[in-house]
Amino acid sequence: MAQPTEQAPKRTTYPLDPTSYKIVDEIGRGVSAIVYKAICIPVSSTVVAIKAIDLDKSRTDLDSVRREAKTMSLLSHPNVLRAHCSFMVESRLWVVMPFMSGGSLQSVMGCSYPNGLPEQCIAVVLKEILHALCYLHGQGHLHRDIKAGNILIDSNGSVKLADFGVSASIYESNYGQGSSARRPMLTDLAGTPYWMAPEVIHSHSGYSFKADIWSFGITALELAHGRPPLSHLPPSKSLLMKMTKRFRFSDYEKTKTSENKKFSKAFRDMVGLCLDQDPSKRPCAEKLLKHSFFKNCKGTDFLVKNVLQGLSSVEQRFRGYKLQRLASMNRSTDDDEEDDEGYSFTKQRRISGWNFNEDDFELDPVFPTNKDEDTDILKQVRFGGETVFRNRGGDSLTSSSSSPGKTIDTQLGDQKVKVGSEMGNNSGGGEAEIGGGLQRAEAVGSLLILKKSLDVQRQNVRNLIVLLGGGESLEVSREEQLMQVIDGLKVELEREQKKRFELEMELEFLKLQLSSPSE
Amino acid sequence: MVSVVVVAVGRRHGASASPVVIQRLSSPSSAAAPPENDGEAELKRMKSLFKSKPKTPVDLVRQTRDLLIYAERNAPDTREVKREDKMLELSKLLRELKSILYGNSETEPVSEACAQLTQEFFRENTMRLLIVCLPKLNLEARKDATQVVANLQRQAVHSRLIACDYLEKNLDLMDILVLGYENTDMALHYGAMLRECIRHQSVARYVLESEHVKKFFDYIQLPNFDVAADAAATFKELMTRHKSTVAEFLTKNYDWFFAEYNSKLLESTNYITRRQAIKLLGDMLLDRSNSGVMTRYVSSRDNLRILMNLLRESSKSIQVEAFHVFKLFAANQNKPPDIVSILLANRSKLLRLFADFKIDKEDEQFESDKAQVVREIAALEPQDHP
Repeated sequence: MAQPTEQAPKRTTYPLDPTSYKIVDEIGRGVSAIVYKAICIPVSSTVVAIKAIDLDKSRTDLDSVRREAKTMSLLSHPNVLRAHCSFMVESRLWVVMPFMSGGSLQSVMGCSYPNGLPEQCIAVVLKEILHALCYLHGQGHLHRDIKAGNILIDSNGSVKLADFGVSASIYESNYGQGSSARRPMLTDLAGTPYWMAPEVIHSHSGYSFKADIWSFGITALELAHGRPPLSHLPPSKSLLMKMTKRFRFSDYEKTKTSENKKFSKAFRDMVGLCLDQDPSKRPCAEKLLKHSFFKNCKGTDFLVKNVLQGLSSVEQRFRGYKLQRLASMNRSTDDDEEDDEGYSFTKQRRISGWNFNEDDFELDPVFPTNKDEDTDILKQVRFGGETVFRNRGGDSLTSSSSSPGKTIDTQLGDQKVKVGSEMGNNSGGGEAEIGGGLQRAEAVGSLLILKKSLDVQRQNVRNLIVLLGGGESLEVSREEQLMQVIDGLKVELEREQKKRFELEMELEFLKLQLSSPSE
Repeated sequence: MVSVVVVAVGRRHGASASPVVIQRLSSPSSAAAPPENDGEAELKRMKSLFKSKPKTPVDLVRQTRDLLIYAERNAPDTREVKREDKMLELSKLLRELKSILYGNSETEPVSEACAQLTQEFFRENTMRLLIVCLPKLNLEARKDATQVVANLQRQAVHSRLIACDYLEKNLDLMDILVLGYENTDMALHYGAMLRECIRHQSVARYVLESEHVKKFFDYIQLPNFDVAADAAATFKELMTRHKSTVAEFLTKNYDWFFAEYNSKLLESTNYITRRQAIKLLGDMLLDRSNSGVMTRYVSSRDNLRILMNLLRESSKSIQVEAFHVFKLFAANQNKPPDIVSILLANRSKLLRLFADFKIDKEDEQFESDKAQVVREIAALEPQDHP
């Protein structure tokens, strides 16, 4: 790839002290990081985003923080979010970045496209992201966490890939130790479960650039539906499903065409290529760019007219999100641990998906069946059992959207069945899979995950029974009861701690606002 | 199609005999042409293969060297257009060298080609030219050059690291690399090269014994986080990688080194500096090869005072790391009287501190260390000063 910014103009130097920045608003928050919108006073009051990572609270080791900072200051591409500078403020690392006023695509969808973006918009976004991937891969970098939450959009429609928190350089890994010049491979587990490639989950066999291509494919589905496939399952379960149900994505083509007229064939074909179980069969980013799906792709100004118009500001969205989160705090879920930095308000979508699902679960508990489970799951994972995106005013969805009238009824039905069939699936299906000549280590790995998932499910079933008031009828040993109590207390404690932490953060934030030179 | 086969065979032969013919990377401009089916693409690729003159790794290194000599001699303002072309060509060559060494998305590196490249690279002064000219390259070329230099440090030719032989004759290059931390634009590139070079023990010894080693105490605290963190990583590598060299250095330079270490790093006002410094101190003192240095360190009351202050920090990470050094003071079976008296004077405070001292995840080793420290302190008897 030619480097579009090779002769980039001399960079403006941003000041390295906190007093030069005036914090305007909070626009994102994760476990150990807060993202602010701020104004850099000495640099002609440029609006910037500041990600403040509390290194004392962050669980990541300093070495990976160092690598992220290095990556962000050495990358230079129009589709990659770069850091202006970074410096320490007490125990916080401030990373000063360009402010992307549209926020993450995940928050955009959460706000105005809950069921996904129109296909033409998706094409524009994905094309931009592919440019970023070409660049990153050419540099030997894996992003390792591609998802809508890490794709940012600016008011002019420009799209950038952000958050290099878990990115890795293939050149920095321990290559060539011992046997001459083998191609470097990574083996550590990184990323966010729903978007992770199968070979990343089986990480002992090593993975490389093609893992990003998988996540890119999942992101395409996420943009099409408003959430990634399997996101109604807790992360560990989604991992398991992917592992044990290999065929799900690979026979993608067959069932697809009959039930999905919503998306163009080119789009479905492109995603199918990305989601090949065999990494070597997935095309590289450069090759994907030549796919017919991107042939008549619009420019980024198309996004300005179609996605950004009428969108509330990042700050407003974050405020709404905070309120919503406060409200849902009591019914908190065992959602994943991932910290959502880089102005992605990830949990919003995920939790609502969960709640919905839980309600469903509560209303209509389904018990293990041996129904034709695979097809049900298929529908779910694919272009979503008819999840129809709304035909937004003005959007002419062209030929691909031939049936805009369908509702989400079918999907509801699917999910109910899904929950049940999936249970049957785990208890029965797992073994057969493992028997098939897998290596011992791999088998142990899958069994461990299987066990974990079974534990989670057991807990779910138990909760369900309690919820339905059937607790007594269940004959549980005293020991088990005690364990339950302990578990319950633990969960409660964790919840309290989380609450306390959040309140503390809130307090700190208020303090910070008070002490900031303004007002 | 017959011709295709011939090409493939020819290349394979090339790999076993000398010079390896490297297929030039298909340029992105031709690749970005309108979509075509795979057969056509393949045919096109083959055609372009015949047209472009194949270059051997040796050719590539030589051309790179020629262009570097040009870049070094010509100031940026001389005949702007011609110079720009040459710099562009240089960038392309560096990228080709990189893809020989690392492979690219389609091909794996060929060890024979890597060996030839390495040999030619170090046969003459290419590495020096590259380091000196680095500031004149653009960002992408700088990164490629850095990765090339880094990779070459590990390339063995006839099971010999010839990079090491070269550097031993050109040790002054390390001065350029170390001083690179003073230039924000160059720091990360020179820093990455430096870390690879000090994998060679003789090179690390040179840097440790040079005057420049003192500068790291300042580099670590530079305001730019990425630069400071890079310097800290290099410093850590220097102080931990080659055990015998480090032990010798610390023994010889004990006085000034730990005076600086304490005052500049452990007592720094900068959170991240203290945190990194206390961690590194633990790594150094707990290393068996540094046991002599450790014994000396834990016999000093000034050191103990600093450590006790770090134990009281509000930051958990610093506290925990400080504990791993503090325990050495307590576990020392030959505590000097003034150490004993300080511990005695603070006994109740220390015991109270350790009673509530927990880390997030369970750690048996930590708990047993803590128990031992508590026992040691509780059992202390006042001693009469001699």
